[in-house]
Amino acid sequence: MGKVIKKKRKKPAPALVLRLYVAGNAPNSVRAITNARAICDEHYPARYVLEIVDLIEHPDTAMADGIIVTPTLLKLQPQPVRRVVGNLDDTAQVLLTLVAT
Amino acid sequence: MTTTARVQGRVLAQRLAEAQATIAALLSGQIDAVIDPQTKTPVLLAKAQASLRESEERYRRIVETTSEGIGTLDSEAKFTFVNRRLSELLGYPTEQIVGSPLSRFTRPAALSESPLGAAAASAEVELGFVRHDGSELWALLKASPILDAEGNRAGTLVMLSDRTRHREDAAALRKTEEQYRQIVEATAEGIMKVDSAARLVFVNRRLAAMLGYEAAAMLGLSVSAFMTSPGAQVLARSLEGGRARMGPVDTTFRRKDGTELAVNVAATALFDAEGRDVGSLAMVRDVTERKKLESQLIVSDRMASVGTLAAGVAHEINNPLAVVIANLDYVGAESASGIVTDGPSEIQVALADAVEAAERVRLIVRDLKIFSRAPSDDPTTAVNVRTLLESSLRMGWNEIRHRARLEVSYGTVPDVEANEARLGQVFLNLIVNAAQALPEGRAEAHRIDVSTRLEGERVVVTVRDTGRGIAPEDLERIFDAFFTTKGAGAGAGLGLTICQRLVRDMDGELTVESVLGKGATFRVFLPVARPAERAQRRAPAPVAIAGRRPRILVVDDEPMVRQAVQRILAKSYDVVGAVSAKQALAWCASGEHFDLVLCDLMMPDMNGMDLHGELGRTCASRIGRMLFMTGGAFTEPAQRFLSQLEEDHLEKPFSPATLRAIVEKYVG
Repeated sequence: MGKVIKKKRKKPAPALVLRLYVAGNAPNSVRAITNARAICDEHYPARYVLEIVDLIEHPDTAMADGIIVTPTLLKLQPQPVRRVVGNLDDTAQVLLTLVAT
Repeated sequence: MTTTARVQGRVLAQRLAEAQATIAALLSGQIDAVIDPQTKTPVLLAKAQASLRESEERYRRIVETTSEGIGTLDSEAKFTFVNRRLSELLGYPTEQIVGSPLSRFTRPAALSESPLGAAAASAEVELGFVRHDGSELWALLKASPILDAEGNRAGTLVMLSDRTRHREDAAALRKTEEQYRQIVEATAEGIMKVDSAARLVFVNRRLAAMLGYEAAAMLGLSVSAFMTSPGAQVLARSLEGGRARMGPVDTTFRRKDGTELAVNVAATALFDAEGRDVGSLAMVRDVTERKKLESQLIVSDRMASVGTLAAGVAHEINNPLAVVIANLDYVGAESASGIVTDGPSEIQVALADAVEAAERVRLIVRDLKIFSRAPSDDPTTAVNVRTLLESSLRMGWNEIRHRARLEVSYGTVPDVEANEARLGQVFLNLIVNAAQALPEGRAEAHRIDVSTRLEGERVVVTVRDTGRGIAPEDLERIFDAFFTTKGAGAGAGLGLTICQRLVRDMDGELTVESVLGKGATFRVFLPVARPAERAQRRAPAPVAIAGRRPRILVVDDEPMVRQAVQRILAKSYDVVGAVSAKQALAWCASGEHFDLVLCDLMMPDMNGMDLHGELGRTCASRIGRMLFMTGGAFTEPAQRFLSQLEEDHLEKPFSPATLRAIVEKYVG
């Protein structure tokens, strides 16, 4: 019985795992962070993870992820990995990328 | 293969799309940074740099608009940056500050005395600066180290806030405090503050002086050091009782030298904000002078009571005394005429002693009356100063002869306007004082000079002694009531006070001068007698009596007085005695004729004043003159009555000679 409750209570695995590369608080980066949060909150409420990585502080991670410019949004889950470059003002394009297979 | 190729194709298309999107993003300015493939480091794009500048600008604005002066110092404490406010505070343009050491702007030596001189991690200190215009700036300086990436000190960040205003407030506060301090130190009261354990935490100089300490040496002392047990008990009791106030109470403190000090103490308990007892504040007044005055007042009260008593019984004493004196004189005259011897007989000596004793009783009663007299009691007449002085010197001779040689120098002076008895009292007092200023037994070494002279419209009588003189501080107070340099019990300190009052009542002046060690000189200035007024006041011409013995009526309810008067006057006059005013009135009304009526003023039933009125109304033609005899206990109406009369009056007790003289004056 306890197991049943546990199952019921178990937080569902995030539907969406994102990583956003930015350059400090440069204007496009700040804008991208704001946009990414807004889109996720609207379309994947409580079912996403958004990791923000500063390119300047972590250039190595960025290289490993094949990042060449910032801001860049990486969709890590669900597979396949997709990326959106720019300040994410174009919500439609961002959503298309997120649902793309 | 086909599948792989398809997948490969899809990835390629994907990469291409991403590359296109990246280029589009770059072109649309959505990119902040790119990674340089060669160095593999991020490179910020121009726009991002501008943005960073913007961010820096934001900080700069904050730095420039803050009300604090901000600057940075390099490792040599020279300014590398200052904000506008710091430049305003120091009054120098920015470019003159940058590159200059901090010490250029501080007051000399201010910096070396501050902890900033040391390489402290961070510090906060109030420093004095000198502005460009020379004015002073007090600022709170906060310094924090600026560290480089390796954590080494690269410089110092300094922030200055203006404290000049605070400083001025503090100065104003100090000024107020100084004012209070001056008040506390200037007051004549001793002030002390004690903590809850009754230890002194403050004393003003006055209190320290009262107790013979240095003020600083008293701090920390327990109050028991100078509070004698009753004093300590009073204070302790009141303060333990939780009362907010105590006193004022009189108590005694002990001086450092062990002597006692009479004080009046009022204390207030002190509480802190939480209501805890933190000690008390006490005001202490030296009441030595007051105590002394109080004890003198008690003495003077006693004297006044004696005066009242004396006035009350004067009448009772003076009547029998008058009889004693009159009869002694009579007996003396009778026995002298019957006995002829070479020297004075035993009886003569005994009589002389009795006369002298009676005279002393008279003087004692008169002196006691002084304390209850009114100024108007003493009408003035023309007085021969020389005669009066001679009489006073005779009375004071016993005091003088063992102490000094007497030198007298009488100038030719007119009579003065004075009351003879009172003036005689003044002279005697001055003469006795002069004598008492000299030690006994060295009469050859000392001198008392008495002289008279005319000075303008006034006669000056000088009494000078060669005694120890009077200290200047005593000289100012010598006429004050109860002031005396004689030991306790030797005098009430009233002699000179009374003398001055008496002399002033006679429109005269009493002065003193003295050089310590060289004796004292008292001068009595008296107005010359008024001859015109005198003529008016003089009794009218004697009653004319042709070829017969004058008839005199003596009215007195005291038989002995009546008989004594009769005895004295019987040789030259026909004297009739009446026991009351009514009897006298009846005789006169029945047609009896009298050249003179000698009448007691105060009598039961009908008094002398009433008799005077009745006689004047009913039988003025048969009455020559009317003279009154008084025992001294005057009522206000009696006083007024006597002063309105043209004739003199006789004060009991009078000597036979006086009686005979005055009767002769009116009857001839």
